[in-house]
Formats: sequence, C-alpha cells, structure tokens
Amino acid sequence: MSQRTDSSVATAQTAGLNRREFLATVAAAQGAFVLGFWVPSKAEAQTLPGAAWYEDSATREINAWIVISPDDTVTVRIAQTELGQGVWTSNAMMVCEELQCDWTKVRPQYASANRDAREMAPEWTLKVPGNGATDPKGGGEPTFANRDRTGVQGIPDSLYRRMRTNAASSVKDGRYYLQLAGAEARERLLLAAAAQWKVPVAELTARDSVIRHASSGRTTTYGQIAPLAAGTPHPHPETITIKPPDQWTLMGTEQKNLDVPLKVTGKTVYGIDVRLPGMKWAAVRSCPVYGGDVKSYDFEVIRRLPGVRSVVQFPIPDPALTRGRIFSGGVAVIADTWYQARTAVDRLPIEWKIPPEHAAFNTANMRESLLSALDRPGTVRADQGDVGAAFSRAARIVEATYSTPYLPRARMEPGNATVLVTGDRVDIWIGDQSPQETRFSAAKITGIPEQNVYLHLCHLGGGFGRNGNGPQAEQAIMIANAQRGTPIHLLWSREEDFVGTTYRAMGEARLKAALDADGWPVALEVRTAMQEGGFGPDASFNLTSRYHVPNYRYSNHTTKFHVPVGTRRGIGQAAHEFYRESFMDELAHAAGKDPYLYRRELIARTNLPYKNDMIKALDMAAEMSGWGTPLPKGTARAIALEERGAETNGMATISAMVHTVSVSPEGKVRLKRVDVAHETGFGLVNPLSVKKQIEGQIVWFYNDAMHQVNTIAEGRIVENNFNRFPISRIDEDPPEINIRFFPTGHWLIGMGHDRATSVQSAIGDAIFQITGKRYRDLPFAQHDLRWA
Amino acid sequence: MAFDLTVNGTVHSVDADAQTPLLWVIRDHVGLTGTKFSCGIGQCGACTVHVDGRATRSCSVPAATAIGKRILTIEGVSPDGSHPIQIAWKEFDTPQCGYCQSGMILSALALLQERPNPSDSDIDAQVTNICRCGTYHRVRQAIHLAAKLMKG
Repeated sequence: MSQRTDSSVATAQTAGLNRREFLATVAAAQGAFVLGFWVPSKAEAQTLPGAAWYEDSATREINAWIVISPDDTVTVRIAQTELGQGVWTSNAMMVCEELQCDWTKVRPQYASANRDAREMAPEWTLKVPGNGATDPKGGGEPTFANRDRTGVQGIPDSLYRRMRTNAASSVKDGRYYLQLAGAEARERLLLAAAAQWKVPVAELTARDSVIRHASSGRTTTYGQIAPLAAGTPHPHPETITIKPPDQWTLMGTEQKNLDVPLKVTGKTVYGIDVRLPGMKWAAVRSCPVYGGDVKSYDFEVIRRLPGVRSVVQFPIPDPALTRGRIFSGGVAVIADTWYQARTAVDRLPIEWKIPPEHAAFNTANMRESLLSALDRPGTVRADQGDVGAAFSRAARIVEATYSTPYLPRARMEPGNATVLVTGDRVDIWIGDQSPQETRFSAAKITGIPEQNVYLHLCHLGGGFGRNGNGPQAEQAIMIANAQRGTPIHLLWSREEDFVGTTYRAMGEARLKAALDADGWPVALEVRTAMQEGGFGPDASFNLTSRYHVPNYRYSNHTTKFHVPVGTRRGIGQAAHEFYRESFMDELAHAAGKDPYLYRRELIARTNLPYKNDMIKALDMAAEMSGWGTPLPKGTARAIALEERGAETNGMATISAMVHTVSVSPEGKVRLKRVDVAHETGFGLVNPLSVKKQIEGQIVWFYNDAMHQVNTIAEGRIVENNFNRFPISRIDEDPPEINIRFFPTGHWLIGMGHDRATSVQSAIGDAIFQITGKRYRDLPFAQHDLRWA
Repeated sequence: MAFDLTVNGTVHSVDADAQTPLLWVIRDHVGLTGTKFSCGIGQCGACTVHVDGRATRSCSVPAATAIGKRILTIEGVSPDGSHPIQIAWKEFDTPQCGYCQSGMILSALALLQERPNPSDSDIDAQVTNICRCGTYHRVRQAIHLAAKLMKG
C-alpha cells in the first residue's frame, strides 16, 4: 500500500509488532482493557466527545463496574453484549442514575469475562434491597439457577454473574446490582471527599460529577476525588439502597445510544473486523446435513491456489458444549485472506458421511410427522375443568390447525470468531451473547483452564439468540487449537451461516373450542407439536389459555428431528401467539362479535394478575387506531394482545397493537399502520430504545408472517441465502407507527424479543376480512391472496 | 499483480488479484472495515460503496471494474460524523446493531445526490438494503431530514 488512510493506521501499527511484543500486548489487554489493543486508534477514539474510548490503565477502578479518570470520564463496564438492543446505553444509565455523574462523559466498555472467571462477586452485590418483583423499591430478583459453569443461566456468584444476553432480560436482571454498583461508588466518592475536607458526609451532595459542601462552598469533581475514593472502602455496603422509580432522573428519559456515532462512521468493531498480526483466515464447509461428518477430502486439488496454507478437519462439536445440539463435522481451509480461503473451500472435493435417517427428512414428511404427533396423547401441561363434558354440550365447535415453519435468525453479520491458542492461554475475539459459555467451551476443547481464557468482546451485527446458538466459537477454537501460535479468524459464508445457526422449530397447533349459544368459549383444547428441544411447550400456552375459558386442556406433542433448534428471538412464544390470537379472531367471527370487544370481555372474565392493564392496552390501541371507523375497500384492521409472564410469575410485559392492512385485488399485502399501546411498568429505563425495539420487532414479525420459511430437502436446509430467503426492505415498512405508553404498577420482563408478535395474526385476519380466505400456515406470501 | 485504487480520495497501491471482489480488496488490502460482508451475492447491500458516485454492491463486482474510478466508503463520508446524512442518522438514533448501516447510508447518499428531494417512493425504489433489526422507520425519517440539511 503506497499510502495509509486513518483507519489502516491501527492495523499497520500492530503489524509492526514482533511476536513477543504482540503477546505482551495481548497479556496487558487482560482484565479491564477489554476492547483490546487493535482498536481504535487515538483518532477514532475521539469519535465520542471527551476522552479515550478505553480507560487509561493507570486509573484505578472504584469498583468492578466503574472507573473515573482525572478528566471526569466515567468508564462503565457492561456485562451484556450490544447487539442493537441498546444495552450499552441502558445498562450504563442504570449505573449512572445512582452515580449521579455527568452523563455526557460516560463511556461504556465490555466487562472482562476472564476476570469473571477469576473473581467472585462482592458480597454487597448479592443482596437486593427491597422485596422482589412486586416492590417498586426492590429490584426484581434476577433469575439464576444453580451455579452453572456453562453460563446457561449465568453464574450467581461470579464477579459479573450473568454475562448472558438473552431472554429480553438485560435490564430486568442487571438493574438492581448495576444501580447498586453506581450507588456504592457514589457513596465512596462522598466518603472520600468528607474525609479530605474533614466534614460529615451527610453535609455533602453529589450531582453531575461534582461534590459540594454547601456551608463552606467547597467543591470537587469525581475525577479529582476518584483516586482517594478508590482506596476508601465503604464500612457498611449492605446498608446502601437503590433509588425507586419515583426518584429516577436519568432512567426513564429518552437517551440516544452512546455507540451510534461509531455506527454512522463505520468505526464500530464487530467480530468480523478484528485484525491481528500474523492472523490467517479460515473458511469452513461443514456437512450440510446435520449430524454428518467428513469421510474424505482432497487437499491436493486446492493446495496451490493463491494464499492457501492448510486444511484442518474438525469433528462434530461435542454436544455437551452446544447444549445437546448436534451440528456437523467439516473442514476449514486456512489462507492469507478470507476470500482466498472461501474460494478454495468452494473447490475442495469433500465426501461426506451422512446418517441416512437424517438425509431422509424433508419438510413434507416432517410436517406429516408433527400432524400425527398431534393425534397421539402427548404431555398434558394443563387440564382444568372437564373439557370433554363441555364439548358434549357445546352449541358450536370451532377447530383450526395452524402451521409455522423452521425459521433462522439470519443476523446480518455472519458467524465468526478469531482465536489464538498458545501453550497456556486462549484469546478469543468475538461478538458473543454468552461469553461465559464460550469461555467454558474454550477450556474444554483446549485443556487450558478457564482462568487463562481471555475473551475480547466485540459488538454483534445482530444477535437474536446467542448469535445463532451456533458453534462458530467452538469451530474456531478447534481449528486454532490445531494451529497453536497462529491467530485464526474463522468466518462463515452466508450459506454456511444458514447451516451453523439453530432454528426455531417448525410447529403445528390444533385448537378446538366449544362455544355456548352466545358465542363465548366454554372449553378450549390446545395441542401443539414441535420437535424435542424446540422451545415451545413452556413458551406461552401452559398454565392458562390467557383468555377466559372455564374448561381448558393443553398438551404438547413432540417428535424427533435432526435439525438443531434453539432460542430464536421470541422463542416458541411468537408461534404460540400466532396460533392463539388467530384463533381468537376466528372465534370472534364465528360468534359474530367484534374481535376487540370479544378479547376485552374474555380478559375481563379472568383472574389474571394485571388483567386491568391488559384491558387498558386493548382499549388504548383500539382508540388510537380509530377502531370501528370506516376504511376503504381492501383495507382492514386487526387487533391482538401481547402479554408475557402474567400467568406464571410476578412480572409481565403487556402491549396491544392494532394493525391496519390492505390487500390489493392482485394480492399485494401492505401493512399500512400500526398503533401500539405499551405499558411502562414501574418505569422504562430508556424509552427511546423501547420504541426502537418495538419498531424493529414489527419488521421482524412482519417477515415471519409474510415471507420467511426454511424448508428441508434430503435433510438439508434449502433456503441458504437472501435470494431464496427473502427479508423485507424499506418499501414494506409500515408508513405509520404510533407508540403510546401507559403507566402500570409492576416490573416488566423485557422488550427484546416478543413485542409485535401480533403482526402475524393481524395480517392473517385482515387477509380473511378482505379476501374471505383464511390461511393458517405461515408465511402468507406463499398463498394466492388475490380477490375481486 | 499490483493495481491502484482511489478510495476516499487516496490512491492505494493494492497487491491482489484484480478479480477479487471490490469488498474484500477494500476490507483486507486497503484496510477499511466499515464496509461489511453479509450475503456475498449482492442481495443485502451491507457492502454498498459508491463507484464514481453510483451505489454499488461491492461484494459482487471485481476490483478491476473500479480501477481508475472514485470509490467512496463510509469512512470517506466523513470520519467524524459531521456529514449531514450522518447528523440526520444520529438525530433519529437510527442504527440498532449497526451492521447494515454503512451500506444503508451510502445507498441513501447516492439517492440524495441524484434526487435532493426524494419522495417516499423514491426511497422505496432506491434504498433496497436489508436491515435485519428493522430500522427502516428511522432510516426513512433520517433520509428526509438529511435532504433538508444538505440543502441548508
């Protein structure tokens, strides 16, 4: 290269390091210095006004979450991964609400998963003041199971406890101890100032990073007092309490995301952007039929292709490291650039060992298998009243069977990880929704203890479920372990990403209702079928039907398929909401009643906690949409309730949406307008991020409803790139989205994955209202929607 | 096989096969990683750059086709986020994960340079990039604001 641009400087500098320097620098990068040395150059770090993106390593931390530099820059360590949901901002807000620092000088940084393996959580973070979920002064307990080193549920007593980013829970599970971390630091800053001035701490106030002593007029800044505070322990940290929502000043306000400036200048470091000295690239091909492995390959064919270094065969990843899921074995071509590696792996002759029973699967026989599972007894999850007797005296019986396909995450950034294994340590550069799990995998695969595994976390180009629940980290570790001393950057092609991801299980549901003479349901029988492990049975239908019915029976029915299924955004709940809300529309039409008022009445008849909030959501969404006012021919409205959690625990997240949809006589569907009534609970941390989540999930579930399907042929995923797996563009985005919040009195579960599931049933019902055709299998675009 | 590419106003001498897709030359030889790989088949637009002012899906054109032409990547729009389109993007807090946004911004910028006052249907027709997070609602508003800012 004859000239260098700004952005190449970091690369060029690191390329100049020799091996010893490189390892020394990586070693120095442990702990707090999480983003690592290759990012960003000083110039890039200035994108955010103020000081460096990463902390000055000479600055001593106040506690494991907070470092305050002399210039008042506050570095907040975030144990969750930013994948577009705004967690870097909302989690920093929770810390800074209590710290009472200058928000314009806050810099988020990833918490160290390595330090998390070495340190236990401070005692004072383990006790939540207040009394759990229903208490506005309390935090709401985070959900931890037993101490679980794989990190599936988080590790209750490790330093950062739950480094997992899933289940829409980053705010809910992080809030109380993040607030506590901010409060502990604030109290110690105050104690340090009081000691310096020799005045009672009660006479001091802290605001916007300035501490004042009113009677003497003295002031100091957090940056000035921080070195003293870092050495000042709190005598009774267990007495520190956190602010209840009515005292919030930063939380609850709309704050722009702190990393957006990096995202509009191309400077965000995603895993794919990691460059290390001496790094080689790996392009992989794993057996397209899950559970298949390599029989043979012929390296000689590609050996002389440009840049090619070697081929590494990797086995089927140990299912114990992939939570029981069976992926495939395969080969990786190592080359100087990824394009060379990918070109070579495309030409590499590979013969596969494919389990014949897996190759025998196709969508039709799998669908058949699920339908016949519905007829078998299944596992009864709820059986209330006497369903059989109620059906025998029904005035009318309505029955419907709904189908949903396999669906992937198809995040924009294909799976990747960069791994360097040396004699006694593993370094991994990755965007990862579960670094504790990856740390565990790395130790298992290499035999190097977790305390010597260093994860350098990067932003993720979309997540939607542990960046695919797929084995990109495990594959990269296996390959790098076979090439010790060389940093290996594994990157999946888009086609490979469709093989390496896990899927939401395809599903079938049969719903059968007995209606009385007035059209109200007196019995409901729900049967759902998914493959084993499909994250469906406990997703939504379970203890209750949500809508009131005196006799209710729910059973789930499983069968065994070979496709690895996982926690795709919304898990099984999104499919269940399609089944349930579609059926409610069908019942309302059968009863000749308004689908909004029908739902309203059936919620009013329940004993569900927060049922008044559900009614409020329905009323508000209906009113916002002009429900009942005339629409042009070919346009219809449909409503649905979105609710999660009220049946099973003390928290819930409740919204209702009305979707206004047109269908042209030629069958073109347009989602024209969405009216959203969403509760706030005791308080939304960052309402701007909540709005963005809602808008984004409207698009997400619109795609599920209209376009997306993965089919199986000869045991393989057929649609493996965006030419065959369509994703909507801006031309299909609803031109009008109205979002209103209403206050409620309980803690929310989260916003990240099951809002706007109503798009699915609403489009289905609008199509029915306009065309007279009822389709019960997604996606709708596969159907003939013409009318005249 | 060294050849010269002009990226963001700087001439780079690149030692690569000129048939390599422009995307990979920009990322791996020029060293600018703001331009993203996602589908590799020209569908999603995450790799969008300008070649002589035209929005181009760089994963699907050989670098050879850009020799002697002006290439603009996200890094060249403005390094400090001060271009009106970046200001508009920030105003609406548009990105979520952000992975598609470099390409989205360059598609929108090409549209604005061709039509300083784009209608919604102009946007629909020309900004065909995929965003999996679903930021479209804010992208549309940001484009309209950018149009205003670019005039002022």
